Amino acid sequence: MAASETSRYLARSLPRTLVPSSRHQALCWRRNASDQASSKAPSADLSDLESTSSLTTTASQDVIKSFQPIERSRARKTQLPRSRYQFRSPKYDRGPLHPHRPPPPSDPSSRLYVPGPFSLPRVEQTYQSTVASDILTLLYVHNPPGFKPPVKAPRLRSWDDSSPYHKNRPLRGPRGGDVLRLLRHPITFNNIPKLERITLHSYVKQAAWEHSGWLHVAGMAIQAISNVRVETFKSKTSVAQWHISPGRDTVAVKAELRGENMHHFFGKLVDLVMPRIKDWEGIKGSSGDSSGNITFGLESEDMALFPEIEVNYDMYPPKMIPGCHITLHTSATTDKDARMLLSALGVPFHGKLVN
Amino acid sequence: MSLSTPLRRTAATTARVQTSTTFICSQCRHATLLRRPKRPYQFTQLITMTDGSTFTHRTSSPVPIYRTTRDTRNTLLWNPSSNKLKNVEEDEAGRLAAFRAKFGRSWDANTPVEGEADAKASESAESKKAAAAAEAAAAQEEDDNLLDLISSFGQDDQHGSKKN
Repeated sequence: MAASETSRYLARSLPRTLVPSSRHQALCWRRNASDQASSKAPSADLSDLESTSSLTTTASQDVIKSFQPIERSRARKTQLPRSRYQFRSPKYDRGPLHPHRPPPPSDPSSRLYVPGPFSLPRVEQTYQSTVASDILTLLYVHNPPGFKPPVKAPRLRSWDDSSPYHKNRPLRGPRGGDVLRLLRHPITFNNIPKLERITLHSYVKQAAWEHSGWLHVAGMAIQAISNVRVETFKSKTSVAQWHISPGRDTVAVKAELRGENMHHFFGKLVDLVMPRIKDWEGIKGSSGDSSGNITFGLESEDMALFPEIEVNYDMYPPKMIPGCHITLHTSATTDKDARMLLSALGVPFHGKLVN
Repeated sequence: MSLSTPLRRTAATTARVQTSTTFICSQCRHATLLRRPKRPYQFTQLITMTDGSTFTHRTSSPVPIYRTTRDTRNTLLWNPSSNKLKNVEEDEAGRLAAFRAKFGRSWDANTPVEGEADAKASESAESKKAAAAAEAAAAQEEDDNLLDLISSFGQDDQHGSKKN
């Protein structure tokens, strides 16, 4: 009894799986020669399809006649509201799978679009007209025809197979330290070192144990001299003397300058501020991270020499103007090239030059 | 064709069963606010340097013209060869030098004054003019030295690069 029932159910359920569903057939557009051969008769599948083309209209002739967009727009007295003809980017980015995607930041309709540049800074003109070609000439290395550069040792050393444990080990780092320095390609017309970005950074320790006004003043001062809205950062390390604990206290302010802002800032830093710093000999020759980025610091008295702060010096509370660290990021891969570029642009260096 | 349909369906069901249940983030709203970038207002400012040259730049300072009192044109660090900026004392009568010769101690005893150095240089030039033949020989030698310098230029650099 039970066996016969199961068989009945089986018999009922089996053909259901084998019945072709119209949905899948409609979606399957691939056609094989074997398909053609097997299905000779136009079966009931095709009866599901609509007999009429989708291009034929079902609208009445009156509607078609009354549709006159050009006439309508001519008859309009006032302009359409802006929302009717201007695309507005969505306010939120809801991910790549959302149908309403914001346009890329380079699109003028994007919310992230930053227009510009609006001026050709003096520093950039100097760089393009004189400095770039000078550097290219100075860094030219002549190789006579037939010259073959000596083969260099590989940067990452392989293990000698003296031990069976050396198998499948990753390559060893360079001799004498773990740091793998940047490669210095020969300088040609398309990799002349140039100024990439400038970072202004100010660590205000009083913001942790006094009020946050220190941070606001620091942010305003740095924004004034750099024309860039600052970012704030929390401390990563704990400093017991200053009552700073990591992740709790917002203590630092940073502004990153690129392009036009960067060139204007660099110009006024070199031409107006640096000559007025008292008893200043230049940037220390040992400064730099050995990959082409050079950092120096300005005291709070030196920050007051910027024309933007000088013009309304009284706006800032006394003694709350911060000092800052300025990092000049160049596209050079060694400090030597970076120093050559910066000194060509007018930055003095003093002391022993360490590369 | 009819056979492929159930096969595909089974594949779909198995895929649905095998979806991972690990949570990558605890709370995903899948909407990030696109904040409009803040751009502080900028003015165009004309900067007049001490030697009279001017340039414009964009700045947040509203002053239209900025005159510098001290910049790269009148600072010794940028003009190391300028005698005007070197802070040299004017001692035409030689009284300061005489005082120093009489009472000068360690750091200011017999400091060579600029005028004396010039005089010495002119004297040496006159002595050279006196010996014309010697001068011609020296010039010839100098030319040779220059030619040597030109021909040997860059070879040291090459050796250096080879070492590197």
